[in-house]
Order: sequence, then structure tokens, then C-alpha cells
Amino acid sequence: MTDAGAPTWRLPPRWVLLVAVLSIVAAEVGGGAMARFKVELTRWARDGMLARPGVHGLVGVRDVDERILDEALVKFDAGLRLFHMHAEGMGLVIIATSMVAATVIQRAVARRAIIALLTVGGAGYPVGYLAWSALIPAYGLERSKAIAEWLVWVPFGTATIVALWGLVGCVAWTMLARRRA
Amino acid sequence: MLALGETAGAAMSRLKPEIERYAAARVAANPGAHGFSGSAEYDDEVRERAVFTAEAGLSFFHLHGEGVGLVLFFASSLVAAVVPGRRSRAALYALLTLGGLFPLGYLVYGAAVLELGRDAGVELAERWILAPFGLAAIAGLVGLAFALARRRL
Repeated sequence: MTDAGAPTWRLPPRWVLLVAVLSIVAAEVGGGAMARFKVELTRWARDGMLARPGVHGLVGVRDVDERILDEALVKFDAGLRLFHMHAEGMGLVIIATSMVAATVIQRAVARRAIIALLTVGGAGYPVGYLAWSALIPAYGLERSKAIAEWLVWVPFGTATIVALWGLVGCVAWTMLARRRA
Repeated sequence: MLALGETAGAAMSRLKPEIERYAAARVAANPGAHGFSGSAEYDDEVRERAVFTAEAGLSFFHLHGEGVGLVLFFASSLVAAVVPGRRSRAALYALLTLGGLFPLGYLVYGAAVLELGRDAGVELAERWILAPFGLAAIAGLVGLAFALARRRL
């Protein structure tokens, strides 16, 4: 029902759609696994923490240790939930924003760069939550968070934010150019 | 909105201590609005609750900015594809775009809680931003649903 001659959406490259769909699939599988294997996952994390008492500051006093273990297990569970949520959301964000980029940005180099940043950043960022959870038993709460932050969240999150603001600039520029013409 | 949502998420994570300090300072600067009593224990509890609510506002902004941005994107694409009549389309675009501003209400929510106190701040954001923009989004989506139903008949 768009006006005749009005531009229609252009699809981004197939690999971008594949990455986005894979991110959504991984999120779904992660969510299902969290529910189905909750007990097993908690036991694995707890055993991992008990095997490294020094890393977690366990002192051998049940009352104190249980509180520390509980806090770490809550964070472990939160990391898995945040992976589930962000991987679903970012999969959709990749599809939507790369379609906007493919449709609006005329210059091939800028279009490719923004689509690549959106895809790599969007798909990589949620993996940080999975890494954070997986690293908690071995490295403790703070160190695992720092590792996930500097290896995953900061680079991939920055890529996404830079690409999104670049896209905002391109859309605004296109609107201004069209108004001037 | 997606870009703002992403940026807010990053700010929440990287600037958490700074945001907490700023929020605590704003609460301390408005003791009357927060009903401080002079009792340290009570005032600390009130301060903590206000800072928590302000942080929740930022967190909701991140979540809704991303989600509403996507809803706006897909719904307006559907409007372009299925709604006949330029005026109907323009009306639905306007409603959906206003609805797209809904997440900004959570930024106001966070800031107003610090300046006006918890209850007054939440009420201000709900009454003047969240409710009207939320209604615009709902009206736009209902209009789109109506257009889709009419197309099927």
C-alpha cells in the first residue's frame, strides 16, 4: 500500500540474516536449557566454586560460605538470563537496523562498514553474559565480570553503539538531502 | 530510540558508581521533597529507595528503548505495506511515532524521582509522559490491527 515509486525495504546480505537468526536460536536454546537443566547447571557452578574456595573467599564456616555461594549462584543465574534476553533482542535489532542501513545508506563502503559493525557487535555482545556465567566458578564474581567486560562487552557493545549512531547520522543526512533536493 | 537505548545500557554499566553518586547528591539536595526526618537511619533508607528507583528508571529506559524501537520499526513497516489511504497511514505513523517516545518517560521518571521525591516523581512521569505516549502507541497498534482485520474480510 506504499505509494507507487516509494522506496521499499532492501534486505541486508544473507550472512547478516543468518547471524541474526542464529543469535535468536541460541537465545531460545539457552532459555530452554536454563529451565530444563536448572538443577544440573546450579550443581555444576556450585561444585566449581567449592573446588576453588580461595577464589570465592570461602572460609569453611557454613553460615558464611552459604551466603557467598548463594550470591554467586544468583549472579550465575542472572548471567544466563541476561544472555537469553539480550541474544533474542539483539537478533531482532540486527535484522531491523541492517535493513535500515541496506535501504538508506547509498555509499557502499559506509553501508558495509555499518552493517558489519551492527552484526558483529550485536551478535557478540550477548555472548559476554554467557562467558560471565561460565567464568564465575573458576574466577569469582569480580574477576569474571572484568574478563567479560574487557573481552566482550566493551568491544562488541562499542561496535554496536558506534554503528547505531552512525546509522542515525546517515538517516538524518538522507532526510536533509531529500528535503534540499 | 534504539541508539539511545543501547547508549543508556552502556552508561548504566560503565558509569554505575558515578550515577549512584549523582543520584544520592540530588536526593540530599532536595531533603523536603523526600521527606527527610533528620533521623539518619530513616533518611538513609529513604535515600536508598530513591536512588534504587532512579536506577530502575534508567534500566527501564534501556529495556523499553530497545523494545519500543523494534515495535515501531516493524509496525510502521506493516502500516506502509497494508494500510490503504494516505491520511490513514499518516495518522498511524503519527500515533506510532508518538508511542515511540514512550521510553523517554522512564528517563523523566528517574530524574523526577530525584528532584520531586519518589511518589511525586513517579506520578509526574506516569501522568504526563508514560500514559499519553503509551496510549498513542496502543491506539496506533489497534488501528493497525483494525486495518489488518479489514484486509482479511
